[in-house]
This record gives sequence, structure tokens and C-alpha cells, in this order.
Amino acid sequence: MATHALGLFGTPSEALAAAGELKGSGFGQPSVISPIPLETAEEVLGEKKSVIKRFTFFGALFGGLGGFALAAGTAVLYVHPTGGRPIITWPPFLIITYEMTILFGILATVIGFLVSARFPAFRDRIYVPEAAVDKFAVAVPCEDQSVFERAAAILRGAGAEEVREVTE
Amino acid sequence: MSSDARPQELSYADVNRDVVRSLVETGSKYYITLACSIAVMLACFFFPWFYQLYYGIGAAGVNHPSVWGTYLASFIFWIGLSHSGTLLSCVLHITNSEWRKAMYRSAEAMTLFSLMVAAMMVMVHVGRPWFIHWAVPYPNQMEMWPNFRSPLMFDVMAITTYLTGSSIFIYMGSIPDFAAVRDRTTGWRHHMYVILSLGWRGTDLEWHRLRWAYTFLAVLIIPLAVSVHSIVSWDFALSIVPALHQTIFAPYFVVGAIYSGTAGIVTVMYFLRKYMNFEQYITKVHFDNLGKLLLVLSLIWTYINIVEIFSGWYGGTSTEGEAIRYRLFGYYAPLYWEMILFCAVAPLLMISKRFRTSFVPMLILSILINIGMYTERFLIVGTSLSRQYLPDAWGLYVPSLVELSIIVGSVAMFITLFLIFVKIFPSVSIYEVKETLPEPEPEPDTPTGEPEWQPTH
Repeated sequence: MATHALGLFGTPSEALAAAGELKGSGFGQPSVISPIPLETAEEVLGEKKSVIKRFTFFGALFGGLGGFALAAGTAVLYVHPTGGRPIITWPPFLIITYEMTILFGILATVIGFLVSARFPAFRDRIYVPEAAVDKFAVAVPCEDQSVFERAAAILRGAGAEEVREVTE
Repeated sequence: MSSDARPQELSYADVNRDVVRSLVETGSKYYITLACSIAVMLACFFFPWFYQLYYGIGAAGVNHPSVWGTYLASFIFWIGLSHSGTLLSCVLHITNSEWRKAMYRSAEAMTLFSLMVAAMMVMVHVGRPWFIHWAVPYPNQMEMWPNFRSPLMFDVMAITTYLTGSSIFIYMGSIPDFAAVRDRTTGWRHHMYVILSLGWRGTDLEWHRLRWAYTFLAVLIIPLAVSVHSIVSWDFALSIVPALHQTIFAPYFVVGAIYSGTAGIVTVMYFLRKYMNFEQYITKVHFDNLGKLLLVLSLIWTYINIVEIFSGWYGGTSTEGEAIRYRLFGYYAPLYWEMILFCAVAPLLMISKRFRTSFVPMLILSILINIGMYTERFLIVGTSLSRQYLPDAWGLYVPSLVELSIIVGSVAMFITLFLIFVKIFPSVSIYEVKETLPEPEPEPDTPTGEPEWQPTH
């Protein structure tokens, strides 16, 4: 069970400033828990890379190929000649390809989101219900009590209204 | 424009409180409305439908040559109504429009429920819904496969994709709000929101991932929505029936769909604002912007109608000429001119800002537009098949009582679904409304204190 120092702030700017200071002081990666997405969080906590776009791309690719294979394959399995036209017909089959590209792109995006954000997660994790209302929390891992005291001092110095010791 | 869209004098805690209140505090008016809508749905939709299943499709007024009737008109109408919700939400999300934030959740719900009702209309239309699975490509002992060259199969694929995409889009955007509600509820509601929120905490990592995924979904859904109504139009345009076999049908349907859907949003916003006490969130600014959008859409819709008439006349063939003459001056002409009055003339009132920012007139106009748009769909289906190439094959289509009743029942079904929605989903997005509020100010001398509610997570 890892111990964390958690500071509660009234404003996002104070919380981000505290997170930046903790990061610059050699602590582990701090995380900010907030009721709204913070546009400037990445500037302070470092750029995050997302794998979601890869999921979307490969999902869409799979859907497109699968969609065309479905339309063409079923036409070959159940041959239905119409006015001497080709059995594998591009214009209508491209519509099926298009729809399936989007369908699997969407489904893969959801899977990418769940995997990369580590959802679903029903075990106990660091959380403060106030951060779903109007508070901004900064949590940082601490190996021992002395590290916690140092982190707590930084959090209080940055304007934390309250500092808690929480375990995950 | 954006700063005026902010709910004034609200704090973050107020937003949580108001939205949670809309979910957990339920008055007798709500239950009476819900009971009435369920009763109308059962009496006017399911009872006539079972009657039709028992006695056969002859219970409906459709017959040769008009084999398509109000069921398909309703299908197009409900698919059309679904169009502005998710589509508008996606476009406004990508363009970062602030006024979207208070109203998009309900608009997306409208999409979802309209699609469900539209799917039910197909079930009613096909006559033998127990064979509907034949539209699904699966290996079977008859070794038969669906014909993917048919526009009906385009429909199956497009609507399935749109329903899936819209459901996912509304759910994903609601996850942070489910978490916020989770912390303030107890009992079965709490358990439900624990599951729905997936363990959301609001960390910077989670917000980052949500933003990416949500934007990708929006980008994928915009072309999808356009394709869905284009495909619905091809159900008709790929036939060789005069007045249906037209290249303009896809944009005509898409514009009509967004038009009726936007009018639908105005209607829903009015009732949400008035009866769910969201006056501070859904303001005149929203009605003003929706009014401007409706005005532009009405002008485009009118233009396409003029082009449709002009190109039919300019083509100079007797069949197209007869189709136009019949629509403008034939048996259904009063319906045509009613449509023009409601969808082309009356919306010009929205040139006035005073009109756009008046709630009741906007509500009445939005309902009139949707009556007009339903008429448009009826005319597309009804007048075209009544007047095909040979005069001895002409006929008249008049809906039966069963069909008329099912139209009323489908509206009740939509209302029922929406009433259930407003008690499960936060109908105003908590976190996105907070984004429009001023940042909280530091209060150094005030102790934190206990929150007014007891966290249960």
C-alpha cells in the first residue's frame, strides 16, 4: 500500500502551482484531481501521449476491410445476378465499407479509452469526493513519513486548505 | 456570445446541487405525466400494432400502388429528428462553442430515443417483425445472405452504426457526471452510478484520455450522421419513381433532418427549462442561437424545395410534370401548402431577435416546424407512389385509424423514454457547465469545513 500526500485547493491555479513545485522538487509524478478538465495541466505535469488514436486507426481499418469483405463475400456466397451487372459491385459496397469503418472506429476508440484510462476500476483508489464538486486535489506518492512531511509542507506553502495522508 | 451563455451567479457547488436535485427530487406532476405517456403509448402504439399483427397488414391503409404509408413517413421523421442532437453536439464540440454545454446532453438523448422510435416504426412497417433478423448477415441453413446492393441494407448498417455511436457518445460524455452524482446519492441509485461511472476520479490522466476519445468520436460521428440521412434518402431516390428519383434527395434529406431536429431541440429545451427548473442554465442565449440556426436551415430547406420544383419543371417530362402538378394542386395540395406555411414562411419570424428570445413563441414555432416536416415526409411517400407512370396505376392513399393512432403512440413512446432519461442521466452536463463559470476565487480566511452532504464513496 503506497502512501500519498494529498492537498486540497480552492482554485485550479494554486493546485497546478503546487503540482509543478512537487514535480520540480524531485517527488514522484503528482496527479491532479479536479471537477473540470484543466487545459494547462499538461504544461505543468508534462505532455501525455495517448494510444487512443492507434486504436481508432486500426479499428477503422479493420472495420473497412471487414465491411468490404462482408458485402463482397455474401454476394459471392449467394450469387444474385442483376441485369448483367458485376456480382462484386463497388458503389453500394463502398457504402457498407464506409459504415463499418466508422462503426469499428468508434468501438475501438471506446476500447482505447478504457484501456488507456484504466477503466473500469472499482477497487479503492485515491479519491476525494470534494474534487467532484469545487475542490482541486493534488496527490503525490511518498515512500516514508519524512517525505510525506516535506510534501505536506510544499502543499501547505502553495495554499492547500487541507493536507491528508491517504493510502492506496 | 460565449460569455453571455454562462449561467450567471452560480458556483460549482450550485451546479452539482441543481443537477442532482433534478435526478432525485421527483414531484407528483412527473409521475402523472409519465403514467399518461405510458398509457397513451400502450393504447395508441402497442394495441393498434398488435391488432395489425393479428388481422394482417390490411389493417393499415397501404395498398397498391401506395405500398408505403405513414409508417415510413414516421420512420423518416424520427430519423430526421435524431439528426441535430448528436450531430449538432459534435460540430459545436469541435468548434468549441460555449453555448452548447448546457443543452447538448438532452439533445443527444433526443437523438438516441428518436432512433429507437424510428427502429420501432420499421418493425411496424414490415408487417412480420419476427423475420427482421433476416436483415442481419449470419450463416443460416437456407444459405441465404442479405443483398448489400439494396438501399434497405445500407439503412440497416447505417442506423445500427448511428445508434451505437450515439449511445456511446452520450455515455462517454456523462461518465464524469455519473461520478459526481454517485457521491451524492444513496441506495440503488448509488450502486447504479458506481457502475456507470466506471470508477472515475477526475485525475489529469482521465480527463486527458476522455478529451481525446470524445474528440475522436465527434469527428467520426459527424460524417456518419450525414451519411445516415443520405442513405435514408436513397431508399427513395434509388427507385425510378417520378419525384423520388432525384440527385438532390440526399442533401434535401440531410438539411430537412437537421432542420426538424433543431426545432425538436427547441421544444425539448423549453420543457426542460420550465419543468426541471433549469432556468439559470438554459437561457435566452440558447434560444437566440438555436433560432438563428433554424432560420438559416429554413432558408436552405426552402431553396432546395424551389430547386426540386424547378428541375422537375425544367426536365419537361410528362411524368415529372404530373408529379409536381399533383403535389402542388392535387388531392394532397392543402398538406403541401401547410408545409410551406409552417416550414418556409412562419420561420421568417425568427429574423426578429425579440421573437428568437421569446420562449413561448419559439416553442409554438418549433412544434409547427415539426408538424410541417412530418407533412413533408408524408408527401414524399404518399404523393409519389400515388402518381407513377401509367394513369391506370394511379391511386389514392389515406391512412387508416391504426396508422394514425400509431403516429400518436410513437410520440408518446418518445416522451416516455425521455421522461425516464431525465431521472437517470444528468440532463445538463455538470462539468461542462462548470467550465463556463468563472474560476473559483481563493478564500484564505475561510476554513474548508465539512461538505453539506455525506460522501458515500
